[in-house]
Amino acid sequence: MDRRDFFKLSALAAASISGMPGFLARAATVAGGDKTLVVIQLTGGNDGLNTLIPYSNGAYYAARPNIAIPKSDVLTLSGDLGMHPALKPLMELWDGGQLAWMENVGYPDPNRSHFASMAIWHTADPTQASSEGWIGRISEQIGDPFCASNVGNATPLALIARDYSLPSIDSVDNFQLKLPAGTQAAFDSMLSERRGGEAAYLEQATRAMLKHTATVQANIGKYKAGATYPDSKFAVQMKDIARLIASGTGQRVLYTSLGSFDTHAGQRADQDRLLGELAAGLKAFYADLQTQGLAEKVVVMGFSEFGRRVAENASAGTDHGEGSVMFALGHGVKGGIHGDSPDLERLHEGDIVYKQDFRGVYAEALSGWLGLNARSILGGDFKGPGWLAS
Amino acid sequence: MPLPPTSIRTLSPEDASHLLRRTSFGATDAEIQALVGASPADAAEKLLSFPQTLEQTNFSPLDAVGPGPAVKLIQGDWLWQMLYTPYPLRERLALLWSNHFVVGVDKVKNVYALQEYLSLLRSRSLGNFTTFAVEIGRSPAMLRYLDNDQNKKGKPNENFSRELLELFTTGIGHYSETDVLEGARALTGWTFQGGRNNQQDYAEQPKFVFNQKQHDNGSKTYLGQTGNFAPADIISLATNHPATAVRVAGKLWAAFVSSTPDENGIAALAQTFSQSGGDLRATVKNLLTSEAFYSAANRSSVFRSPVEYVVGAVRSMGRPPMTEKAVLSLVAACSRMGQELLHPPTVKGWDGGREWINDTTLLLRMQTAAALTLGNNAPKGDPLTPLSVLGRSGALQGALGSLNAKQRSYLMLISPEYQLI
Repeated sequence: MDRRDFFKLSALAAASISGMPGFLARAATVAGGDKTLVVIQLTGGNDGLNTLIPYSNGAYYAARPNIAIPKSDVLTLSGDLGMHPALKPLMELWDGGQLAWMENVGYPDPNRSHFASMAIWHTADPTQASSEGWIGRISEQIGDPFCASNVGNATPLALIARDYSLPSIDSVDNFQLKLPAGTQAAFDSMLSERRGGEAAYLEQATRAMLKHTATVQANIGKYKAGATYPDSKFAVQMKDIARLIASGTGQRVLYTSLGSFDTHAGQRADQDRLLGELAAGLKAFYADLQTQGLAEKVVVMGFSEFGRRVAENASAGTDHGEGSVMFALGHGVKGGIHGDSPDLERLHEGDIVYKQDFRGVYAEALSGWLGLNARSILGGDFKGPGWLAS
Repeated sequence: MPLPPTSIRTLSPEDASHLLRRTSFGATDAEIQALVGASPADAAEKLLSFPQTLEQTNFSPLDAVGPGPAVKLIQGDWLWQMLYTPYPLRERLALLWSNHFVVGVDKVKNVYALQEYLSLLRSRSLGNFTTFAVEIGRSPAMLRYLDNDQNKKGKPNENFSRELLELFTTGIGHYSETDVLEGARALTGWTFQGGRNNQQDYAEQPKFVFNQKQHDNGSKTYLGQTGNFAPADIISLATNHPATAVRVAGKLWAAFVSSTPDENGIAALAQTFSQSGGDLRATVKNLLTSEAFYSAANRSSVFRSPVEYVVGAVRSMGRPPMTEKAVLSLVAACSRMGQELLHPPTVKGWDGGREWINDTTLLLRMQTAAALTLGNNAPKGDPLTPLSVLGRSGALQGALGSLNAKQRSYLMLISPEYQLI
């Protein structure tokens, strides 16, 4: 194969087949309430200090001679804090009072492993005893295994319930099964064979998939894009989320991820690009919701598993840290900065000391936005920073 | 006590199919029959005896027009080896170790670095675990992926040091944050020269160097031991920790016995590993001849990964010829199903098991099955048999009896049974 041949190998199309099973209709009732929570996971540990920048603080610049955001580049939000310049597309939302930042969010006894820390955020259990996700528990409380979905191709732990996983939808358009002509009866009969063990689990997973695809395809034609989305994978995921909401498929929670924010080396290039992708995708998503007349029905909440060490390392990057910032946006949020900024002179092993337990932020989303019993989902009462508009 | 041996004396067709589906992705009826009557030990020995010769292919990553295409060609070449090699266990083990000593092409795009890494996975998979880990640690692919090339005296970068403990050796719960820091100090100085820039130097050969000037040769305390440890000492202390044996045994268990861990079984296999001084051949051989491997309870209890899904189907058809383009499209299909070769979502690799299965991946498996069995562009191989793909002659044939051979092949590949080995 020579160089030119390689270019011919770009569009690798999957096979397409025709015929759709119409024998399955969704039986579950749509969960009550008409509000949707969209959760954005920033995978890999997003550096909070370079996201919401304490630009009046000399200690910040002293700790980061190579990667600090120069004052002149900061998008000023207050006398002390401002946003990373790549977040410029969100300034309009900030000015409209529809963007909230939550400072210093974390949990007791911080864990610097990506995977352990991510699991703690997903299960809302810092003791790491739980194997169920907090959104999985929402679906159990509502009693609807289709009340939340992930947009992407791997189901996050957050969406695992005790006896099932909530669906993952990689692409709304391809979310349908087309069996070849003449095989439907044999397929049904094969699926109905007696089986045990993991084969029984796979049979159930296949049946659930047939139900979910039928629901989505029955509704999805109702959507017409109300904004132009940028050409990034994240923006496409946000557009699919807008389509699911606008077509009334009934999910109360939608989840997607962007990453990797694991910036051990050459942080500026990677984080700048990712934050730019995040901001442009969110801006288009919000504009689309406004066109659809749905802006009042949706809030977005974003998190990362931890922030980074305050001091930069020798590779112009940062190592794993503890607390970080969260953000929320939408008509339903109380715009502004919630909570106190971290004290950069009093650190714990080089990291900021968290003040706001993330479960308090979740609790407000659960009770204040989704109208659910936060206590039973989180296993306790947690005070939030008051990030929702009352 | 190592894992108790199986009571099976000679392999039946079902035993042989089980062994080949687990160790070789899949096999034809004829390849299964060739093992019938062999003892489990002889069958394992046959599979474990492989040379390092690779199939000649037309993928030439060094001639690619840029790092992105070069990476695609390396992925294509690796899938080609899995599909066509006479030594599938070599590639199956390389795949397993690529999910342990993880590097990702999101960060590593140098052709030589990736080829050297793959060659280590193929040639060290049955050797000594400490030697394997040290060589991986010194490989430019790993030095780049976990930033140890940036780890310098007085300015530690903890990335490799942390993952060495958390993921490659002891696992969480057996080390402290201080161990991570002290390990990072000891690992300073391991770096590489050449091929530094992914965009311009992707086809330039990198070379490992130990930069003494950047090495912190002070005293370190690591996992309870104190000394002026050099980089290889740290890796050796971590690989020889008792928890490492359990972690490695758990990885082998998940690949070859069951997606559900069994504490006692894993502990027994860990003992084989420890008592043999980390001899991977002895450990894998104990596993492939064990009661646990062959027991009825553990049959069809490992979830096929996307790559195993695709390669299993093609090898069960008798390895029909495919174009480079078709193989690259299978690489892309595996990526969409959640497993891009050499690009796990994180350094932790893929957990596998039930995690491979969700609405989207099931749909994509069905699409891929159609591409492999129906239509004019499907590879032209032998019809799939229930024994070759489901492990049991006659399986599901009541439901599928009225269909033609292509339709039967398609429905077997989308059955719950085929997703398991």
